[in-house]
Amino acid sequence: MKNTLSPPLIAVFQAEVLFNLKRVAPYALMVIFSANAVLWWARGPAIVRGWAVNSDFYIVWLFGGFSFMTMPLFIALMMADPVIRDFRIGIDPLIFSKPVRRIEYLLGKFFGNFFVLVCCQACFALTALGLQAFSTPGMIVLSPRLFPYLQHFFFFVVVSSLALGAICFTVGTLTRNVKIVYGLVISFYFLFIAWQYTIKGLPIRWRIVLDPMLFNVGAEVWKGRSGDWLNQTTIDYDGYMIANRILMIGVSLVCFAILYNRFSSAERARTTARENTASIFNLAPRMERLYNESEGSGTAPARQAVEAATEKPAAIPQVKIITQGLRAGFDQFIAALGVEFRLLRAERSLIVVAPLVMLVCALELAAFEVVPEPSYSAGYASRTANSLLLFLFGVAVFYAGEAMHRDRESRIEPVLWATPAPNFVLLLSKFSTTLLLSTSLIALVALTAFGVQLYKGHAPFEPGPYLKTYGVVLAPSVVFMTAASAAMNVFLREKYLAYAVSLALGGGLYYLTGQGYNHWLYNPALLNLWTPSDLVSGGPHLTRILVHRVYWLAISALLLALALLFFERKSTRVLKVRGRLSGKAWTILAALVLVLTAIITGFILVA
Amino acid sequence: MLEIKGLKKTYASGVQALKGIDLEVPAGVFGLLGPNGAGKTTLMKILATLLEPDSGEVAVTGVDFINQKMAARRMLGYLPQEFGLYPTLTAEQTLAYFARLKGVMDGKERARLIEALLERVNLSDVRRQAVGGFSGGMRQRLGIAQALIGQPRIIIVDEPTAGLDPEERNRFHNLLSEIAGEATVVLLSTHIVSDVSTVCGQMSIIRRGEILAFSTPQAALAQIANFVWETTVPREDVPALKTRFRVISTRMFDCRVRVRVFSRDGRPAEAFSPATPTLEDYYLSLVSQPESVN
Repeated sequence: MKNTLSPPLIAVFQAEVLFNLKRVAPYALMVIFSANAVLWWARGPAIVRGWAVNSDFYIVWLFGGFSFMTMPLFIALMMADPVIRDFRIGIDPLIFSKPVRRIEYLLGKFFGNFFVLVCCQACFALTALGLQAFSTPGMIVLSPRLFPYLQHFFFFVVVSSLALGAICFTVGTLTRNVKIVYGLVISFYFLFIAWQYTIKGLPIRWRIVLDPMLFNVGAEVWKGRSGDWLNQTTIDYDGYMIANRILMIGVSLVCFAILYNRFSSAERARTTARENTASIFNLAPRMERLYNESEGSGTAPARQAVEAATEKPAAIPQVKIITQGLRAGFDQFIAALGVEFRLLRAERSLIVVAPLVMLVCALELAAFEVVPEPSYSAGYASRTANSLLLFLFGVAVFYAGEAMHRDRESRIEPVLWATPAPNFVLLLSKFSTTLLLSTSLIALVALTAFGVQLYKGHAPFEPGPYLKTYGVVLAPSVVFMTAASAAMNVFLREKYLAYAVSLALGGGLYYLTGQGYNHWLYNPALLNLWTPSDLVSGGPHLTRILVHRVYWLAISALLLALALLFFERKSTRVLKVRGRLSGKAWTILAALVLVLTAIITGFILVA
Repeated sequence: MLEIKGLKKTYASGVQALKGIDLEVPAGVFGLLGPNGAGKTTLMKILATLLEPDSGEVAVTGVDFINQKMAARRMLGYLPQEFGLYPTLTAEQTLAYFARLKGVMDGKERARLIEALLERVNLSDVRRQAVGGFSGGMRQRLGIAQALIGQPRIIIVDEPTAGLDPEERNRFHNLLSEIAGEATVVLLSTHIVSDVSTVCGQMSIIRRGEILAFSTPQAALAQIANFVWETTVPREDVPALKTRFRVISTRMFDCRVRVRVFSRDGRPAEAFSPATPTLEDYYLSLVSQPESVN
C-alpha cells in the first residue's frame, strides 16, 4: 500500500521515537507507571470498599486517579522540550535547511513524543490488565476482560493527555523554556481544583462537558452505592462525555493552530533579527548571536589596535595563587555562588513562575475561608505553607536539576573541571542558589499572604506566626528537597531520569501520607503532623517537631555528603595527602557524624 | 617535563582509544598530530584530569597527574576542543570567575591579570559584552585567556584553530609561541599540519591510539627528503596510479590531478618529478601506511 503520509513528517516522527528509545527516562516512566498499577491493585481502596478490581467502575476510577496524580508532571517531562532540544544541540539549521514544512516538523515532533508517552502510560493499563490473573485474600475479581481496559484507557487517559500534551508542547516550543512549562503544570493542580469549584454550581451535564479529566462522570450516581451495585455497573459514554472529549481534541487543535502561526513568525523573525531571541515571548534563555563587526576588533581602528598589540605583547603579570586552605575554598565557593546567582538572575522563567506562585497563593486565600486558629496570621501562614509545598517541590526538582546539568549542556564543564576548585564548590554553589530561589519564593508568598490578610482586615497582623511556620515547616523541607534532588542528579547522572525518579518518589510519599502512612521517620515535609497551634503555643509537640526538623536536616546534609563522594569529577583516590586528611576523608567523616545524628534524632522521634 | 608511560584507555563500548602511549615532552610547544579518531582527545582529557586511564602514568615535573589530580589542576591550563561559556556573563566576569577558581584571591591582582589577559588576546574592547554574542574566534581567544590564568606549567590546547580565520590563526600561533617558555609545556593537539609546522619545536604523530613518530619538524622533513615525487595526470588515471604507487596526496589543479607519491626507490616512473617535501607529506606518508607496516 502506498504511504500517503508526508515522508518528512514520518521521518521526524521516527527520529523522535528512536531518540526516545535511547533515553532512560521513558523506561523509568514505564517502570514507575507499572509499579503505580501494582500499588493501586495491592493497596488501593478496592478491597476495603468491596469493589472488584476489574469492574468497569473501578477501571474508570483507576484511570482517573492515575491521570490526576501522574499526568501533568510526567506529560511535561516528555512534551515540554522536543523542539527546545533541537535548538539547544544546534541541529535546527540542519533541519530547517531541508524541505521540511513547519507543520510536518511540529506534528512529527509532537506525535513522536506523544506516541512514546502513550506507550509509557499504557504500561499502567497493561499491568492492571495483567493483574486480573492474580488476587489476594478479600479481593474481588470478575471474569477476565480486555476491551474495557483499552476502551477506557483511550477515552479517559489518552484524550486528556493529548490536550495537556498539546498545551505543554505549545508553551515549551513558543517560550523555549522548559521551566515555564514545569511551573504551569505544577499550578495545574491548583487551577484544576479552582476550576472544579467554579463549575460546582452548574448542572451535572455541564460539569461533565467542562471537566478536562472527566472526574465528574457519574459522581452523583455512584455516591453511596454498594460495592455489588458498582461492580455490575457498565460505563457507557453518553453525549456529554463524548462532547467533552471532542472539546479536549478541539483544545489540542487550537494549541496546534497557535503554535503553527507563532512558530513560523518566530522563525521568520529569527532570520532577520538574529540578535534577538528566537522566542516571540522573549522568555527563552538568551540565544547566541552573530558577532557584529562594528562592535569589536573587526573595525579599522580596532584592527590597528590588534596589530599594535601583536607588535608589543602585553606581559601577563605574576599573581599570587592560593588554592589550599579554608580561605581559598571559601573564596572559590563565593565566586561560584556569585556566578550561579547571576545565571539565576538571567533566568527568564522566573518572570512567569514567581507571579504564578503569588497568584495561586492569593487565589487560595481569596477562595477559602481562613480559620483564625490560633490567630489569623497563623491560619494564613499554615494555609499558604501547605499549598506552597508543591511549588517548592517543583523548584527543587526542576531548578536544581537544570542547575546541576547546566555546565554540561553549555559545554563549560571540561574547563571548570580542569580548574583546582574542590568539588564542594561546584556542587554546593548550585545547591545554595536553588535554595536561595526557594527562599525568595517563600518570602514572596509571605508578602502576598500578609497583603491579603491586610486587605481582608483580619487583625492582628503578626509576622511571628509567619516566621515560625515558614521557618520550621517550609525551610527544612526545602533544604531536604533541594539536597535530595541534587543528590539524585549526581547519582543518576541523567537529568530526565532524575526528574522521573524524583517525581515518583515525591508522589509516592505524598500518596502514602494521604493513606495514613505519615510517620515522622519518613515524612520529610511534616505533612499532616502539625497544626498552627503547635508552633505558636509551644509544648512537647513543638519539641518533637523541632527534633524532626533536625533529623531531616541531618539527612539532607548526609545526602549532600554522599553526592560529594559520588560526584562524577574525581579529585582524589586516597584518604590522606602528605600526612593530612584529604577532602574525601573529611566528607566520609562528616557523613558518619550525620548518620549518627540522624540515628539519635530518629530514636528520639520513635520514643 | 611531561612524562607519559604506558597509558592505556579502553572505553566501555570496547573502543581501544590508547594502546600504551609512551611520550616525553620537553618545555616549549609540542604538537600532537593525528587524524580524527586517533586518540588525541582521549589523551588530552586524561592529561586534563577529566578522564581516568585504565593503566599508565602521567607526571609533570614530578606531580602525578593520575593520583594527585588537585595538585595537577593547580599547574594546568586547558582549552578543550569544544567548549562553551555562560552566555550571560561578560568577558571580564568570565575571566574573573576562572581566576578565582584558580586561586587568584587578591582583587587588585586579579583585575590587573584580567586586564593584561584581555589585552593579550585582543578582547579589551569587548570586555563588558556578554560572551553569548561573541564570534567563534573571539570565544576561542577568551578560551585561551582562561587557560593562561594561574601561571600554568602545562597548557593543553585541543584542536584550537578549527574554525578560526587565517588572521586569527596566525595570531593564535604567535600567542602560543610566546607563552611557551623554559618552564612551560604547551601541548597542541591538532589534525592541521600547518599548525604544527608553524609553532611546534617538537611533534608526535598518533594514529589509532599509538604513537607512530616522535621528531622535530626539521628532522621529519629530512627523513623524507628525496622520497616525494609529483606528477599531474587526468582524473581517470588516478585509480591506476593508486594501485601501482604509494600515493600520499591528490589535489585538483586546473582540471587535472596533482598526485604526490612516496617512493624510497628513486623515481617511480618517467612522468614523476622530484617534489620539495612538506610536513604534510611526512604526516600523510605515515598515517596512510597500512597498520601492519608500523
